[in-house]
Amino acid sequence: MNDVPANVLEIKGLDVVYSTNRGDVQAVRGINLDVRRGEILGIAGESGSGKSTLAVALLRLLKAPGKVTGGSVIFNPAGRSPVDLLKVHGEELRVLRWSALSYLPQGSMSSLNPVMRVHDQFKDVIVEHAPDRKEAVGDMIPRLLTQVGLEPRVARMYPHELSGGMKQRVLMAIAVALEPDLVIADEPTTAMDVTIQRVILQSLADLRTDFGVTLMVISHDMGVHAQLVDRVAVMYEGQLVEVGDVRQVFKDPQDPYTRQLIESIPQVGRRAS
Amino acid sequence: MKSELELRGVQQRFHARGVADGYITAVDDVSFKLLASPPQIVSLVGQSGSGKSTIARNVLGLQKPTAGSVLYGGKDIFKLNRAEYDAYRRDVQPVFQDPYAIFNPFYRVDRVLWKAVKKFKLASTRAAGLQLIEESLKAVRLEPENVLGRYPHQLSGGQRQRIMLARVHMLRPSFIIADEPVSMLDAQVRKHFLDILLDFQREHGMTTLFITHDLSTVYYLGGEVMVITKGEIVERGSVATVMHEPSHPYTKLLLDSIPQPDPDKRWTTRIQVDELEHLDDNTLGDATKPEAPII
Repeated sequence: MNDVPANVLEIKGLDVVYSTNRGDVQAVRGINLDVRRGEILGIAGESGSGKSTLAVALLRLLKAPGKVTGGSVIFNPAGRSPVDLLKVHGEELRVLRWSALSYLPQGSMSSLNPVMRVHDQFKDVIVEHAPDRKEAVGDMIPRLLTQVGLEPRVARMYPHELSGGMKQRVLMAIAVALEPDLVIADEPTTAMDVTIQRVILQSLADLRTDFGVTLMVISHDMGVHAQLVDRVAVMYEGQLVEVGDVRQVFKDPQDPYTRQLIESIPQVGRRAS
Repeated sequence: MKSELELRGVQQRFHARGVADGYITAVDDVSFKLLASPPQIVSLVGQSGSGKSTIARNVLGLQKPTAGSVLYGGKDIFKLNRAEYDAYRRDVQPVFQDPYAIFNPFYRVDRVLWKAVKKFKLASTRAAGLQLIEESLKAVRLEPENVLGRYPHQLSGGQRQRIMLARVHMLRPSFIIADEPVSMLDAQVRKHFLDILLDFQREHGMTTLFITHDLSTVYYLGGEVMVITKGEIVERGSVATVMHEPSHPYTKLLLDSIPQPDPDKRWTTRIQVDELEHLDDNTLGDATKPEAPII
């Protein structure tokens, strides 16, 4: 593990368009961005800025009418050779998924299978993406649940028996089950109440501190970025307008849009105009 | 029409697996009164599982409380006669959380509005009905030509939520029961929605029970607030008082858990949310065992 590249992900000139019958809409324009190993990188921006499109493009989950029209995304998983995520297909992509690159979706409501016990959902992922670890599943599940602050008995429960925050933590545990190099979390705390959000943010920070997971956290909530991330990338109309250390971005924003975004944060004790 | 809506000692229990007596108490001895006049905005704030949506269901008559009563104009809503029940149904209108789930995807959105016109006999001719619909759409800042004739999937979440408000506007109820109406909307659309509710209060004298987990929305709306946790209302008062001088520890925790948009003001303490308390907690110790294996 000595000569592991410092960047987990190197995005160069990424363009994504959605084809409509009124012509193409460019959702991501020429994005250049590196994700450093071991960091928590925040992607900020308003709705429609292209944050989620960026995430699905990286995860190769982009569906028609969306298509990548340019650029490269070099992924450097530890112990494997670098690959351009935009060029891998089929089996090669399937092998990368979950074991090296995983995803924490927004909808904790709809991301778990309602008719499977939590235990079986773990097994599903592990057997599918790491068949050689099939035997270890029984030991892995309690450990993974404990890691995100859930009791091992949660494994025997069905999704409807869990609260939203617990479901989101089950998803987190599944996302890190195979020790991926990079986890992309898309709005992981949206629509959660503040106390649960705080617990989830704590757990996300723990994943990095305790297990060295690299995280890319997409959120429209600037409060989440301020609390959690090391660096923030701000998107506006498909472009990256600013990337920097979280303190610099909040204290001394360079781009006028970033400044506007920070000024318009609603705060208790200060009424939005 | 002018009246009041009151909850008196409402308790709601549900069957549940894995708890000591086979029941969980979602709402416990909750009492409050909403007045139609003067129109007010009362927020009910609490985390998920605190019982706030159950209260909405009780107030709307969708769920009969296990104990206690919901009174409309002084009468138990489950004991109203037909005419009284119709009046209550019209006078207390819901706005729900999910702008996706509320519409039947097979029908144009117009149907929701026309149904209201017909059911409540708001207009005698089609032209008058259409005029009413258009006025109400404009009142919620929608352009009638942009939404009428469309299917739900052709509209954004914010547009769909505002169509529900247009429906409310047509009916002019005394009470709106809004259960997490903005939690699926982004900041800008959310502000529009809240401004419309404030308009309804000022211009049409509607009283809103606004149920939310989001404190910044409560702050924006102002008025009164009740804080609920574990099925009990633990604090109530004006928004300014509760937000600036919270007296209950739970309110303090809530306020402290709002992520401050300042990287220099990160949380330094950790919290544990006892979400697991509906399970018997004899195994809770496992989660914190130091010898728990880690990767």
